[in-house]
Amino acid sequence: MKFLLAVSSQEFSESTLRMGSKVAKSFGAQLAVVYVGPKPKELYAGRVSLARDTLAKWEIYHPGVEVLRWAFDDLKTSGFLENSDDNGFNPLNMVEEKGRYRMALPGSYGQDIDLILREGDIVDELRRECSEDEYMVSIIGGSKGRNMAHDLLQYLPTSVLVMKNVDLDRHYRILLCVDDSSATDRAVRFGATIAKQMNFPVTIMTVSKTEEFGPGYSGAAEAALRHLESQQVDHEQKFITGDPVNTFIETAGEDHLIVMGSSSKSALAKFFLGSKPMKTLEKANCPILVVRDK
Amino acid sequence: MILNIIYWATQRKWLLISLLLATVLYLLPTPQGLTAEGYHTIIIVLSTILLIVFEPIPLPAVAMLILVFQVLFGIATPNQVASSFMSDAVFFIMGSLMLAVAIVSQDLDTRLALGIINITGHKTWRIIAGFVAVCALLSSFIGEHTVTAMMMPVGLTLVRHTSRDPKKVAGLTSLILFSIAYGSAMGSIGTPSGGGRNVIMIGYLSQFGMGNLSYLDWMKYAYPILLIEIPLAIMILWWTFRPEKTILDSAVRKLKVQVAKSGQITGSQITAMGVFVLVFLGWVFLSPKIGLGIVALMGVVLYLAMGLVEWQDLNRNTNWGVIMLFGSAISIGIQMKDTGAALWVANNVIEGLQVITSNVDFSRSFVSIFLTAGLTNFLSNAATVAVLGPIVLNMGGNAVMVALSTALASAFAYLTVVASPTCMIIHSSGLVKPSDYLRAGWKMTVMSIAVLLLFIHLFWPLMG
Repeated sequence: MKFLLAVSSQEFSESTLRMGSKVAKSFGAQLAVVYVGPKPKELYAGRVSLARDTLAKWEIYHPGVEVLRWAFDDLKTSGFLENSDDNGFNPLNMVEEKGRYRMALPGSYGQDIDLILREGDIVDELRRECSEDEYMVSIIGGSKGRNMAHDLLQYLPTSVLVMKNVDLDRHYRILLCVDDSSATDRAVRFGATIAKQMNFPVTIMTVSKTEEFGPGYSGAAEAALRHLESQQVDHEQKFITGDPVNTFIETAGEDHLIVMGSSSKSALAKFFLGSKPMKTLEKANCPILVVRDK
Repeated sequence: MILNIIYWATQRKWLLISLLLATVLYLLPTPQGLTAEGYHTIIIVLSTILLIVFEPIPLPAVAMLILVFQVLFGIATPNQVASSFMSDAVFFIMGSLMLAVAIVSQDLDTRLALGIINITGHKTWRIIAGFVAVCALLSSFIGEHTVTAMMMPVGLTLVRHTSRDPKKVAGLTSLILFSIAYGSAMGSIGTPSGGGRNVIMIGYLSQFGMGNLSYLDWMKYAYPILLIEIPLAIMILWWTFRPEKTILDSAVRKLKVQVAKSGQITGSQITAMGVFVLVFLGWVFLSPKIGLGIVALMGVVLYLAMGLVEWQDLNRNTNWGVIMLFGSAISIGIQMKDTGAALWVANNVIEGLQVITSNVDFSRSFVSIFLTAGLTNFLSNAATVAVLGPIVLNMGGNAVMVALSTALASAFAYLTVVASPTCMIIHSSGLVKPSDYLRAGWKMTVMSIAVLLLFIHLFWPLMG
């Protein structure tokens, strides 16, 4: 099982890396830390490459290498990686393959993580990365602009965990949003795994616009309840009438991790009309995991 | 499947916009006074500008599209397109890109570092002055990106020896990097070999039968401008980016120790410098007969034959797509002239500017200097000259002076990350922000335009 975690800089990615690596660890997953830097304009790419080759002779490396170095050290400090005397990180071991740079790491490091450097449009590069390897979840930071996380949710073929407004000192609860979408079942299992490993209590919430909760909704809610009980996870269940997205946002506040299944709508419908997960992502002020049905 | 199509459309939206623009314009009637071929040429130019600026498809594809459209729109036959694609200017661009790889691979950067530091000492202002002057003077002969590639390690090593965290010395970092970038960019006006755009313009003058400009003639007009710009640029940069430290004695000492480890100058390095001197002499004395491009290629052959550089290194670091693009841009520039499109645009611009002034000299200056200086910040200087060159040369006046002022103005690429290769190279360090370019760039642009105008109106008439 493999997770992808996108980093941009030490300043902006610290909480994403810390919390994201904990989530990956709760699944026992391998982690690929991917830095996507801006690509030089193609008109000048050859000349930039020439300058970089010269800089490398002076041991001055691509800024993304320093970000990956920081990420590697932080993963050792946080305990995700075994901290040994052997540093393991050597910029000279960056190997170019398939349009990206991948660091060859020694020993067990190489089994637990991948360090990857790419250049280009972040959505495009992460899509390409997902096509290189079987990633189950992509973890990204919450961007100030709406578009990046929204586009990644729309176009990445994996489940997406967006680390919006993460506070590492906060004790989170999970808000498990259950409805009749085909991905709900998988979302429930993901939510339960995270809750159990990270000791987060769970609120199972089912929201209907009408007073009636159809068989799809009530069946999914019942299945979610049974699963959490079998996992012996601390939980409660709520049935609310109202607008689903606004209800999720009001309930979640800043101290929940929202977990929900991806929409069953067609790609065209999602593109033109949006979906519950996309609208929840836009408005949420807390981390949100949208699980794909695969 | 649908998702992939939607994704493709969002990623390629500028291609779709460009094609839509071309289709809409194509369906409109041909403007009065313009031939159908001329109108179609203008359509190709407009849609290509969008593709070059926004890069929705790879540049070689843009280059090929230009050639394909010329034939499909009936502007030229396949053989005419092919013959306009390759010229001495394209040889020069090819040769200079490869010479850059050959020169940079000689590891002369350490020698350069030692030389500069020994002259300038450890005071920050003197180091900055040294960087600007050396970058400007060198790049006037060997090209701006070559010099930037060699000087960047020197500059960044000084920063690193001053502070492990460059953010703590952000002013010093920006000052050093912009000294290198702007010094190199400025210097490229000094001689024809300073930039491919200079050779493109010389090629247009010759091809259109409007005059000739030798290597030394160019230097006579342009080098004094460069020499005046150097101290002004130093003052502008010092005024804009205040360094945190005014003395870098510790950093200089560490740099000296570091470069001393590279040992004595080698026979290969001396030979490499010798070959370049031969190339320079070839440009000065042989280029009137055989062209600047052929001399550049002769230099590349010498570097390869003497084993000073490997073909694999040249091949890997030469952006062949860029060469194709400039070949296509020059090709369409020639069509702009031959179809009368350039003359039509020139006349309409002059007529349009008569709303502001009836002075044709002003209109000519406005386009050749101000419009060029503006466009070059978005389109690359060579592409700007390739597109605007035929237009300005049809605006009357002294063709050689107009050509020179346009080519020089295309070097005033200070305002954006994508303005020039030097701006892009320093941006790739991750240590400068787009706003930094505006902070210093507008002052550099105003200064450069002012100096150029001074020379055009006061000194060039005296030089004859």
